[in-house]
Amino acid sequence: MSLSINGNYDEINDRWDFDLVGEMDISNAHQLKQQIETAYAAHATDIYLNLERLSYIDSTGLGVIIGVYGTIRGNGHKTIIVNPKDNVRKLLRITSLDKVLIQ
Amino acid sequence: MPDTMTLSVPGKAEYVSTVRLAISSLAAKSGFDIEAIEDIKVAVSEACSNILCHSNIGDEYLYRVECTLHDDRFEVTVVDNGVGFDTDHYKEPNPEDFQSGGLGIYIIKALMDEVHVESRDGSGTLIRMTKHIFKDEPAPSAGPGHQ
Repeated sequence: MSLSINGNYDEINDRWDFDLVGEMDISNAHQLKQQIETAYAAHATDIYLNLERLSYIDSTGLGVIIGVYGTIRGNGHKTIIVNPKDNVRKLLRITSLDKVLIQ
Repeated sequence: MPDTMTLSVPGKAEYVSTVRLAISSLAAKSGFDIEAIEDIKVAVSEACSNILCHSNIGDEYLYRVECTLHDDRFEVTVVDNGVGFDTDHYKEPNPEDFQSGGLGIYIIKALMDEVHVESRDGSGTLIRMTKHIFKDEPAPSAGPGHQ
């Protein structure tokens, strides 16, 4: 199982776009945390997470996203999830995270 | 007597995906649809992660995943001999006040039909999860005159 994370700073819209590909669980969720922390330190702005190609996420991965949401919200920045697959969307709905993380 | 399969899993995060694959395969064999298989897969994975996060068993120890295929239900028990946690003080996450911890058990309870958690400080943790199998009613047999 693997997770690929590709982060790009969108200068025009002043935001970070992260593409997540593969599966995110307890073995690799820390990678997302590290990459977002590094990116946010370089440009503190909104963070968009494209989950179109993320086939699996667990509570550890959701925990990282909740942590990011809580941290940057205090600076007036948004954390937005885009294009989650149905199984991922189901977990977001169960945990009520869809209300604050999906546009 | 129902078939039972038991996995002894090293307490390392990298093996949770292996458990997930094995359980998905067994759930598919039991005739669940894709959504139910996904529910079981996520729930068992969460139980494994819960043990790795809270039992403090260390990566040189093993925990056990036992899967029993009953006619009417699919039952998975995840058990360790770690330090356990006090379930009396388990606090379900509040959706209005998001926290990054405590989601695992909450998700398991949402996805499975029955969930039983036994854990006490110092005596390990057992999480038993059940998904019922709803089989279609048998088609009425063709009566006389139906060839």
